[in-house]
Amino acid sequence: MMRINCSGCSLLCDDILVNTNGTIIEQVIGACKKGKQRMDQLNAKNRIISPMIRKNKELQKVSWEEALNKVKEIVKNSSKPLLYGFSTTSCEAQLKGLELAKRINGFIDSNSIICQGKVLNAAKDSGITLTTLAEIINKADLLILWGANIADSIPRLLNKALFSRGKFRLTGREIKTIIIIDPIKTASFEVMQMRDTALYIQSDKDIDLIRFLKEKISTSKEISENKIAGLDKEDLKRLIINLTNAEYGVIFVGQGLLRPNPEYNVLKELIELVRVINSKNEKGRISLTLLGGHYNMIGFEHVSLSFYGKNHSLQFSDNILIKTSDTIVSKVANDDFDCSIIVGTDPISNFPYFLSNKLASKPLILIDNKKSATMEVADVFLPSSLTGIECDGLAYRFDHVPIQLKKILNPPNGVLSDEEILNNIIKKINNK
Amino acid sequence: MEMTVNIVRMIERDQIEEFSFGNDISLKEKLAIGFVNPKDFDKLGLVKSLHIKLSNNYGEVIISQVRDEKIPEGSILMPVSIWSNQITGVENGSIIYKNLRVEVEPTRDPILQFKDLIAKIVINNK
Repeated sequence: MMRINCSGCSLLCDDILVNTNGTIIEQVIGACKKGKQRMDQLNAKNRIISPMIRKNKELQKVSWEEALNKVKEIVKNSSKPLLYGFSTTSCEAQLKGLELAKRINGFIDSNSIICQGKVLNAAKDSGITLTTLAEIINKADLLILWGANIADSIPRLLNKALFSRGKFRLTGREIKTIIIIDPIKTASFEVMQMRDTALYIQSDKDIDLIRFLKEKISTSKEISENKIAGLDKEDLKRLIINLTNAEYGVIFVGQGLLRPNPEYNVLKELIELVRVINSKNEKGRISLTLLGGHYNMIGFEHVSLSFYGKNHSLQFSDNILIKTSDTIVSKVANDDFDCSIIVGTDPISNFPYFLSNKLASKPLILIDNKKSATMEVADVFLPSSLTGIECDGLAYRFDHVPIQLKKILNPPNGVLSDEEILNNIIKKINNK
Repeated sequence: MEMTVNIVRMIERDQIEEFSFGNDISLKEKLAIGFVNPKDFDKLGLVKSLHIKLSNNYGEVIISQVRDEKIPEGSILMPVSIWSNQITGVENGSIIYKNLRVEVEPTRDPILQFKDLIAKIVINNK
């Protein structure tokens, strides 16, 4: 048996045991459904291990040489290439993607821009109080899931955050309080006990609750309101007591808080609320943690920021980074691209139909390892190995801690890592 | 009837799993679906065999439906998929997955297959 880090989600669990015979994984111990599914993708019936090019409206198997020549042809005929994805690739591949974008004067963005990257953007002016998994395990006594269904998105996180005993918490679940703020009774509610609080907030009323909490906590005024955002006075009182008395409270920011509004920025106001609570709470503090699901979503932010000084949405011109206010969404919506290179993601499934249609209307190159809706419209498909199983790579856990993923098996013959594929594209383009 | 759609990730209805291990039939069965509160189920006059048609400014989609007491009245919960994204759009520069207002009606019209949804894109453009 060997112990590995799992790349099934952004928790990157470090306690997974696998047994391999050198060719396949025979046994997996300790993984959740997502982790097991990740290992099973090795031999999934819909895994694709041959490069393909669309000919006569059908994807047909071709050699790597032919596929890369087609990529070169598409890129050479492009003046506005778009690169997107990278949240399920290693940091090394992300860096190669950035290098490619620079080389071909492209625009590059990661999935983070439509997910948890929004929280980091909201924190640019003010800073943000983040925390790590180790801090949560060792210290936390209050966990607040705000629009976050952890049980479905990062399945083992509650095991570690809620049920584990830490260095400074010799008791586990017994002293930890969980509060869930969500309009829907999600699977995460199943872990609640008598002491915990379920707050069924009205849809899209989070801003009302945040502003109410900010006012009451900063002024220490009595609650006169009977209801805020659909929540009763007693629940509101209990929430304030928990927030202001926690020794180490953590707010898990979920997708439910990411909907934009032209009149306010709920994320900025949440960050401000945390600052207000921490200025009032003398014995403890509240931190935020972000919950991007893909195993290296937050990695792109770090790689891009470290090497290019900008965490996402980078536009290159004359091989240098130039200013832009565009994002992947505006670029596609405005038809401001003439081909795309998609890496490890499925925008045709995940984007609104009108964006998918626009993306599919231009030549599309896909680097991935399985069937997807994006594969169905791709002009070139380049099969990649599974990072953390068939190749090494660095990934950033959801709490911004870098974790080295190990190779445990060889990929199928001819299948390369995302990093190697991107490097080969750069070489091919450089080769005149 | 006007309702609100929320699109979420569901571990038991995961498109990556279906794309990796399933087929076009399981994709549709698992992902072309919406969960509704029993009161809305009654208000819409639904029976198990009926589908629901969701429409808004962004588009329309026909899906199957399941009664679920956990869903708040007036809401429909859908897994992320190519079906749910027929009715999503962009507001203030961001893709909207939550609190989408839709008009809901029962229908016996068929649910589009995965290949039909892809054909809508490919035939239009390639």
